[in-house]
Amino acid sequence: MTSTKRSTRRSWVAIGGLGAAAALALTACAPPGAGPSTQGAGGTAGTGTLTIGFISPTTGNFAVAGQEMYDGWDLYWKTHGDEVNGVTIKTILEDDAGNPETSLTKAHKLVEQDGVNIIVGPLIANTALAVAQYTASVGIPNLQPVAASDDLTQRNANDLTVRTGSMGGSQANYPGGEWAATQGGYKTAVTLCADYAFGWESCAGFKQGFEKNGGQVVQQIWFPNSTTDFSTYASQIQAANADLVYVATAGGAPGPNFLNAYLGLGLPIDKLLLNCCAADQGTLRTMGDQIIGLKSVSYWAEGRDSDVTREFVEAYKKASGGKVPGAYIAGGYITASLLASVLQERGLLTGSDLIDAITSYTFDDSIFGRVSWDDYNNTVGPVFIRQVEKLDDGNLYNVPIATYEDVDQWLGRTPEEALAQPTYSQTFQG
Amino acid sequence: MKRSRIVSLALLALILVFGIAFPYLGASNFALSITTTILVAAILASSVNFLVGEGGMASLGHGAIAGASAYGAGWASKQGMDPGMQVLIAFGVTIVVSLVYGLLSMRTSGIYFLMVTLAVGMLIYGLAFRLSSITGGENGISNIARPQWIGNLAADGWKYYYVVLAGFVISTAVLWVVSRSPFGASLRGVRDSESRMRSLGYTVPAYRLAAFLISGIVAGFAGLLSVWQTHFVSPSSAGVDRSVLLIVMVILGGTGTLLGPLIGATIVILVENVLSSYVDRWPTILGLIFILVILFARAGIVGSIAKLLRRLRSRTAASPGGPPSPSDTSVSSTSNAA
Repeated sequence: MTSTKRSTRRSWVAIGGLGAAAALALTACAPPGAGPSTQGAGGTAGTGTLTIGFISPTTGNFAVAGQEMYDGWDLYWKTHGDEVNGVTIKTILEDDAGNPETSLTKAHKLVEQDGVNIIVGPLIANTALAVAQYTASVGIPNLQPVAASDDLTQRNANDLTVRTGSMGGSQANYPGGEWAATQGGYKTAVTLCADYAFGWESCAGFKQGFEKNGGQVVQQIWFPNSTTDFSTYASQIQAANADLVYVATAGGAPGPNFLNAYLGLGLPIDKLLLNCCAADQGTLRTMGDQIIGLKSVSYWAEGRDSDVTREFVEAYKKASGGKVPGAYIAGGYITASLLASVLQERGLLTGSDLIDAITSYTFDDSIFGRVSWDDYNNTVGPVFIRQVEKLDDGNLYNVPIATYEDVDQWLGRTPEEALAQPTYSQTFQG
Repeated sequence: MKRSRIVSLALLALILVFGIAFPYLGASNFALSITTTILVAAILASSVNFLVGEGGMASLGHGAIAGASAYGAGWASKQGMDPGMQVLIAFGVTIVVSLVYGLLSMRTSGIYFLMVTLAVGMLIYGLAFRLSSITGGENGISNIARPQWIGNLAADGWKYYYVVLAGFVISTAVLWVVSRSPFGASLRGVRDSESRMRSLGYTVPAYRLAAFLISGIVAGFAGLLSVWQTHFVSPSSAGVDRSVLLIVMVILGGTGTLLGPLIGATIVILVENVLSSYVDRWPTILGLIFILVILFARAGIVGSIAKLLRRLRSRTAASPGGPPSPSDTSVSSTSNAA
């Protein structure tokens, strides 16, 4: 009995030793598939199919916005057909739950396993930055329909990442400050912004636009993103007694929550100027007729008098059971229509050729208006001062009352000056 | 040497050989990168597992320790320091942070320990979010460099896979040795009866602090490995969600088992990253798996399989007649190691 046991042990040791030796020998030389990757860029060029990997959070905290961004993209191909100029568009949707690590893994999967030609998305700033850095390193173009982080096209800009369906946080709000100080006739302002990168950038844009044109920001208040009760902020705003109140949220519940607290104190609606997302369609639907006349500043105006905008709004209303599209849906839609326009004009392109074609293109008749791209691949386009109105179909729309054309991301500086500044924060507002 | 011990060692060797041969079995780049992710998560989970299994201390702050280490490496890289300095700073930050955790929590246990680690974790998350001049705020730090010899991500995924595999083997071996040492035995004593250990003359808080430092250093190591894989760090890697998932991994695999963290990490990462491509409601599936394991396999997957094998063996041993021999019960206590 003991001898058999000992011999089993000996044979196990022998097998283990052999295994380890074999493993070491194998490690010494590179595995068969380990050469330079040939997948991805241009993999399917010429066959007439452009495969798009679309990353968006369709579960988790950002599921609503993430689904909207994809719906906008999908709506364009559904209404216009998924074939452009002989190129068939195939989209693979991946969920990242708003988590950068998952975003990155999904990007790896799309590039390495599915061999996509382009990656569109993701939604949240940090996921966008993580994916943009990876796609650039493997030569895959990356289109960003919604992410608003300034640095995506400034300090972290790369040749293959283009912001296609939105603007930087400071860029989109600078004209709001300019308008308030000039046409709006406001002398002093108090700001209330979300206390993280997007809020800091939005407030910085507004403040610089306002103060460069003679206005004065008397107080800046910051709220944590998770705030639900805005009553203390509303009283602080009342106490500041400024001519104008500028509010920037990142969308979702804070917009309506703030408005309820502010209007609940009996404060006047015509002293308010909101950013894109605080006055997005979600807020309009929640608040209803009591916010008619509310002003805001954004690159997207669903009530703009133009054929393409009307066509898009009608198509979305039909697809969604009567809802008017907000900025995230528009971001997905304009990205799709931009890609279609470029393919229509230039035929099938991949890799850096596609990015060059997009950034040298001027999209004259987009749902945003006339849009072009700067050297850092950021949108240069119109920014609207909007006012909530009830149109004939009974829905509330943000209708432009003033338009600033060709707004760029440098806020009146040269790119070099702008990039030499620190990033915006509570303490640095430019 | 007991037969079951040999079997579990052979099983370990088999898994290791498979792990080493994996890139040669026609694994795609994506399969390699996801396995790397799993191994990094497994290192992190085994640091939590050590603390829970040996010390009875369930921490909700280990995601933040790994995050702090990752930020240390990221910051060093942003200042243009070489990878050697990155390692030094990452471990420096890890040790300082673990000390803070350990000193604050060493006199607590149970739910209070959980709350202290949760609070310190939130503090680190808050700093990562707000201290934008150092951490880049919500945008995080991107383009973090890693040592040249690992090569780049796209072409040489297999090299980094081996680095992480070696890291996993080393950290698992270190944790195993520590938990088999007299120190580990005292730690288990503290876990089972703090008052008895105190009356025996042990300085209980010191043991807790030391255990936390060891566990924290392994967590920091995982943080460094993850930053070299993704080249990126942002507040969400230090968030409480990550720490909760770590606990889920440990419980799924089986607390106090050697391979539990690997199994748990495999399930969670695969559901999160692979199953989610096919099933929209993947968080529900993860939840269901968790509930099923809690209901029907309280000792976790590895723990329950070990238990099941033990029961089968004792039944076959018992079938010729007579109760299981005492040697069988002693086997079962050592086979816990698997």
